[in-house]
Amino acid sequence: MLGRRFPKEFVERYSQLIPDFDAFLEAMQRPLRRTFRVNTHKATRKQVLELMADLKPEPLPWFELGFSLAENGVGPSEREDARESTHFPSLGKRIEHFIGLIYVQEAASMAPPLVLQPEPGECVLDIAAAPGSKTTEMSAMMENTGIIISNDPSPTRVRGLIGNIDRAGCLNVAVCRMDGTSLGRALEGKCDRVLVDAPCSSEGTIRKSAQALDHWSVAAIERFPSVQKRLILAGYHALKPGGVMVYSTCTVAPEEDESIVAHLLDRQPEAEVCVAELPGLTMRPGLRGWGGESFPDAVERCRRILPQDNDTEPFFLARIRRPA
Amino acid sequence: MNRRVRELSERFGIPTEVFERLSALEDQETVFVGTPEVMEFDEVRPMRRGIRLARIYPYSVKPTTFGMQVLGALATRNVVELDDEQAKLLINGGSLNMEAEADNGFVLLRWKGFVVGVGFYKRPVLKSQIPRCRPVE
Repeated sequence: MLGRRFPKEFVERYSQLIPDFDAFLEAMQRPLRRTFRVNTHKATRKQVLELMADLKPEPLPWFELGFSLAENGVGPSEREDARESTHFPSLGKRIEHFIGLIYVQEAASMAPPLVLQPEPGECVLDIAAAPGSKTTEMSAMMENTGIIISNDPSPTRVRGLIGNIDRAGCLNVAVCRMDGTSLGRALEGKCDRVLVDAPCSSEGTIRKSAQALDHWSVAAIERFPSVQKRLILAGYHALKPGGVMVYSTCTVAPEEDESIVAHLLDRQPEAEVCVAELPGLTMRPGLRGWGGESFPDAVERCRRILPQDNDTEPFFLARIRRPA
Repeated sequence: MNRRVRELSERFGIPTEVFERLSALEDQETVFVGTPEVMEFDEVRPMRRGIRLARIYPYSVKPTTFGMQVLGALATRNVVELDDEQAKLLINGGSLNMEAEADNGFVLLRWKGFVVGVGFYKRPVLKSQIPRCRPVE
């Protein structure tokens, strides 16, 4: 089963990288739990819990506004069937979703804004924002004040981004459709916080859809670092002195994660990588090297979220500060 | 306060404080509302600022569903309270015959204390003005 589902190259590659590889592989085969976030622009946590009591939402240990669904005791192998059954109508078809009281969002994807910690009244750049889960989360954290410049270069994706911003009721968002590098240049030194949730090979989505595995290859991974390097530099340049940036991806490929942070440190040696912590969420340190490349010591302060630790998608996070 | 925003505030009895810390702008027969920082942002030209609050027609101002969902929560006039079935019917594009305590014209549709969208009431018919979306079950 493992050999059939996961390409040999995938197994060879990540068995070197992840010490408890069997647990990783087992977790990657399980469908994702359904999770959502309470949108505090429109409702309180208590109101949403009352409205959705029939689904028995369970709070995420690291985020009081994030919830997973208990699935009525259905085991992992039966979850996909259960999702389609009448007992579990899609969250997206519920009134609470339509009116924006909740935002359906993968649990690990809620982490980057929590690590970035935008505050009310600040100027924040979300440089690769579509479909908008993190923009809308940050908007709520900022209590609909200040400004989030929410950007995506794709005309199709930006339509979805605007739809989600509307539904979530975000009044503090300006949407741009620009190349991220140009935008970073235009906003040079103007932002308190920057989120670079970079386009990536999306290995994390394998848990969401088995088809993602069909598209997996090392060649696919190699397509992303050039744009990721440009975006992390653009995001850094947009920071005010003393500003904070989070670089994140939903992949475990070091070429798209630690290697990109190492690239930033090579170009901007003064940049400070800070340890990202979220009480209740297990995260592992960044790698020291990969594929013959050694990373600077500071890269170890990056954080890896692995599926076997918290039953989420895999994610990578780096919290970077531009010195004052 | 922007004239169109004031009209909406008066029709629906929305306290003016709701709009106090917000700015509005009109662009191509549409009223947008957002924070002052968003409306004054000029480092680059955004394709969208804030959210659409209303469409301007020659003889009326039509509030948007998404604008009213976030800013209409405290409305006191021309609000129609819906039960579960009525809410689903209207969200899915239907219409109802009902006696409502509302003037003819645009009304806010409220379900369990939350504005679900905008309707058009011409006694006794209440028609949904909610944009088409994935059906709600």
